[in-house]
Amino acid sequence: MSYERDLMHSESNLPMLSLEQVSFSYPNRIVLEDVSLEIPRRSFLALIGPNGSGKTTLLRIMSRVLQPQRGRVLLEGHPISRLSARALAKKIAVISSEQSFEFPFSVRDVAAMGRFPHLNRMQRMTALDWEIVEGALKMTCTEALESRPISQLSSGERQRVLVARAIAQEPSLLLLDEPNAHLDISHQIAIFNLLRSLKSDLGVTIVVVLHDLIAAAAFCESVLLLHQGRIVKAGRPEEVITAELIRKTYGADVHVFPSPLGGFPQIAFGPASEP
Amino acid sequence: MLSSSTKSLVVLSAVTVAVALGAVFLGPVGLPDAYILLNVRAPRVLLGFLVGCGLAGAGAVFQGVLRNPLADPFILGTSSAATVGVMLANLLGWRNYYALYFMALGCALASIAFVYRIAQTNGKAPIQTMVLGGVIVSLFLNALVFVFFSIFYRESFTVLFYLLGTLTSGDLKLISISGVIITVGFSVSWMLSRELNALTQGEETAFHLGIEVESVKKILFAAASAMTAASVAVAGMIGFVGLVVPHLMRMIVGPDHRYLIPAATLGGASVLILTDAAARTLVPPLEIPVGALTALLGAPYFLYLLQRKKSAGEF
Repeated sequence: MSYERDLMHSESNLPMLSLEQVSFSYPNRIVLEDVSLEIPRRSFLALIGPNGSGKTTLLRIMSRVLQPQRGRVLLEGHPISRLSARALAKKIAVISSEQSFEFPFSVRDVAAMGRFPHLNRMQRMTALDWEIVEGALKMTCTEALESRPISQLSSGERQRVLVARAIAQEPSLLLLDEPNAHLDISHQIAIFNLLRSLKSDLGVTIVVVLHDLIAAAAFCESVLLLHQGRIVKAGRPEEVITAELIRKTYGADVHVFPSPLGGFPQIAFGPASEP
Repeated sequence: MLSSSTKSLVVLSAVTVAVALGAVFLGPVGLPDAYILLNVRAPRVLLGFLVGCGLAGAGAVFQGVLRNPLADPFILGTSSAATVGVMLANLLGWRNYYALYFMALGCALASIAFVYRIAQTNGKAPIQTMVLGGVIVSLFLNALVFVFFSIFYRESFTVLFYLLGTLTSGDLKLISISGVIITVGFSVSWMLSRELNALTQGEETAFHLGIEVESVKKILFAAASAMTAASVAVAGMIGFVGLVVPHLMRMIVGPDHRYLIPAATLGGASVLILTDAAARTLVPPLEIPVGALTALLGAPYFLYLLQRKKSAGEF
């Protein structure tokens, strides 16, 4: 969990991903302005901020779905704009909020799509590829569903299958956009614990966009708070998730106190008091 | 999975072969003689095979790329453009088969390039914009055809032939040109079936799986449109084969395009050859245009599919 250990274990001193003075705007609106950050290897970072603060845009720039007008993004020191889609997919897996389940592919087929970037055109899946897929299904507890069509699963089950696909992709960096949306509390806890074990067991660097500050505080090692396209603060959860910063950025009055479960901050809020 | 799909493929090819042979005996002309067999039936079955392959193969590709299991090969305006091509050839006084064929083919391909161009923004062609563009282009071109009908009603028969769709063009040269185009279109689409599988998961997801989305999409649109154009140019607008057959095959072999594309092409061939045999034997000695018959049979079946999907809660 400590930063020193992360450095000790890293194969190289280059950060997993670094953004250098990245700016992005739509024709009539600036979304991100002059964002610079370094994401060390084997870290677990949450991007938080109010609606429209630019956190999803930032995630989409990291995965190169969007190209920033200014600044650049480096993956292990290489500009991602120069990588092919395939080279990028070998390093970065993404679970975005865009999800399409019109076609009744089986759970196993969907998880096997994670092997696409590792296969040449027309090349068949090898026994090793299938082994990796089976392993991914096992880790996400989806092997019992493997022959069911994904179109018939619940949203919690689908989310786990998408994580299985991402694991099968064997990425160094995993980007997720609100993986806990539409999930009940037990599935939320399960998915965050799974992400934590991906980080600690497989050394995957994880960046996740979250609306849920409680989950960000409880499960992530570091938090980056965005407001109006700029970084307000980055650091450990207890440094970023404070009543004062939340009031300043979200404009919400909340009570923040240390969680009874450990050092991380806990948030409480309720109805506005009558005057 | 593989063995069951292979089995269904074998069954489908067997049906195709059986119908090809059976068509001779089903003919309205009592005893088959060699002349009819070689010069009328054989080209007709061959044409049915090709057009069935082309339309159903194109349908499978369009449904995958547009992520809409209910899309059809004519969705981007290809068929209306082919009809306008025939109309233009008529206006210019080019009445031979070759002129009509190449005008239909050329206009169909030009319309697809046009639709792609108007949908393109920032190097991307969003599928919703493409479908919308296709619908608008179709409406405009159809209006042109009706204007043509009302002014040049004497020449309208050839154009009507295209609107109805028949397999009576026995010109082996044209059939083989279409055959080559359809074979190339099929091979390219089949080679890209893994990419197509990824595209069904959403374009961003496909990109995250390492697919160069825009170039793959462009190649697939080109391949499917070429198959559609080559089919329409030689046989007119035969509806519902390209819509229903891929849908039906998805129920049998599943959504994986490595199996779906060959299954749909062979299934389309079988269905069209069978329907054409019915079209020329149901009311002897008259012939129902096969395009009208596929629509007559296909539309109720399609409604049934919609109804089933509705009751399964998928809409």
